Amino acid sequence: MSQQDFAAALLDPDLPAPAGLAAWNGSDPAQRFRVYRNNVIVSLIDALADTFEVTLELVGEEFFRAIARLYAYACPPQSRLMAFYGAGFPDFIESFPPAAGLPYLADVARLEYRRIVAYHAADVPGVGAEAVAAALADEATLPTLGMTLHPSLSVVVSTSAVVSLWAAHQGILDLSTVAPDAPETALILRHGLNVEVLQIPAAVGAFLCELQAGASLGRAAAEAMSIDTDFNLVSILGLLLQKSAITALNPTRSPT
Amino acid sequence: MNKTLTAASLAFALGTAMTVAATPVAAPMADKEKCFGVALKGKNDCKAGAGTTCAGTSKIDYQGNSWSLVPKGTCEKTASPTSPTGHGQMAEFKERKA
Repeated sequence: MSQQDFAAALLDPDLPAPAGLAAWNGSDPAQRFRVYRNNVIVSLIDALADTFEVTLELVGEEFFRAIARLYAYACPPQSRLMAFYGAGFPDFIESFPPAAGLPYLADVARLEYRRIVAYHAADVPGVGAEAVAAALADEATLPTLGMTLHPSLSVVVSTSAVVSLWAAHQGILDLSTVAPDAPETALILRHGLNVEVLQIPAAVGAFLCELQAGASLGRAAAEAMSIDTDFNLVSILGLLLQKSAITALNPTRSPT
Repeated sequence: MNKTLTAASLAFALGTAMTVAATPVAAPMADKEKCFGVALKGKNDCKAGAGTTCAGTSKIDYQGNSWSLVPKGTCEKTASPTSPTGHGQMAEFKERKA
């Protein structure tokens, strides 16, 4: 029996127990292997239930554990860090036909996973007032100024009320007031030790995604304006500065 | 050319953002506060993901250094038998015997 055979049998209940197993007390090794196999899969389902708490509450224990079981068999952990287990779970939910009637489910799962990633993201200090003043002093370069955002920062764009649904399950909002099919964009970032979830306008989400993709301030702002002429650049820059979420200003004279 | 592309308008936006107290775009967490000493054993809030050790690990009921997110303004009104004030507190405290 190779380690590969043993691992394959662990994750496929249709395979027989690996040959060559022996039990110390003479009990049936195949039976004992089934117990072990069950413990493995249940621990993976429990790990997903820990991370995707709201997703679980949205569909109930039974449905969640059923889809988590399928995911665990299909995508066993690739890393020993269980905190990050389930990176592919939102996509898996999205492609899972029984969940097709719940279009918000995958996005709520995305938000939950990004919160975990934000929690564990590296500490990087935000730029200080001097750096901003220096950028302002060189006004002509502002349109091509690049901005590095905090590694914990991410945006989830959804056709569903992803922030409201999540907030309702934190006891922050009354679930009966949430219209699940109202599109919302979530901003997730860590400020100090607190992971924050904010609802932002779609144009602000686009602005942040452009900056993260390396676009200049001028280009990101123009993109946001093309989505919504009411895009408020002052408000989002103020928020980013207040949350220490701009970690570097990268002046450049080359057009981007 | 879009008006946001001009250097002057970007400078205005960045400069204003620096000086005004930023208006949060939306902050659903803003009406919550961290409340110490009101969590029941194993029910303290701390979301760090599977396999991490802080969520649900407070050892005793109303542990003074464990916190829960509660609606703003309610923390110091929530009973906590271990708290010297008899209520939840906004900072860690040392439990008294309940």
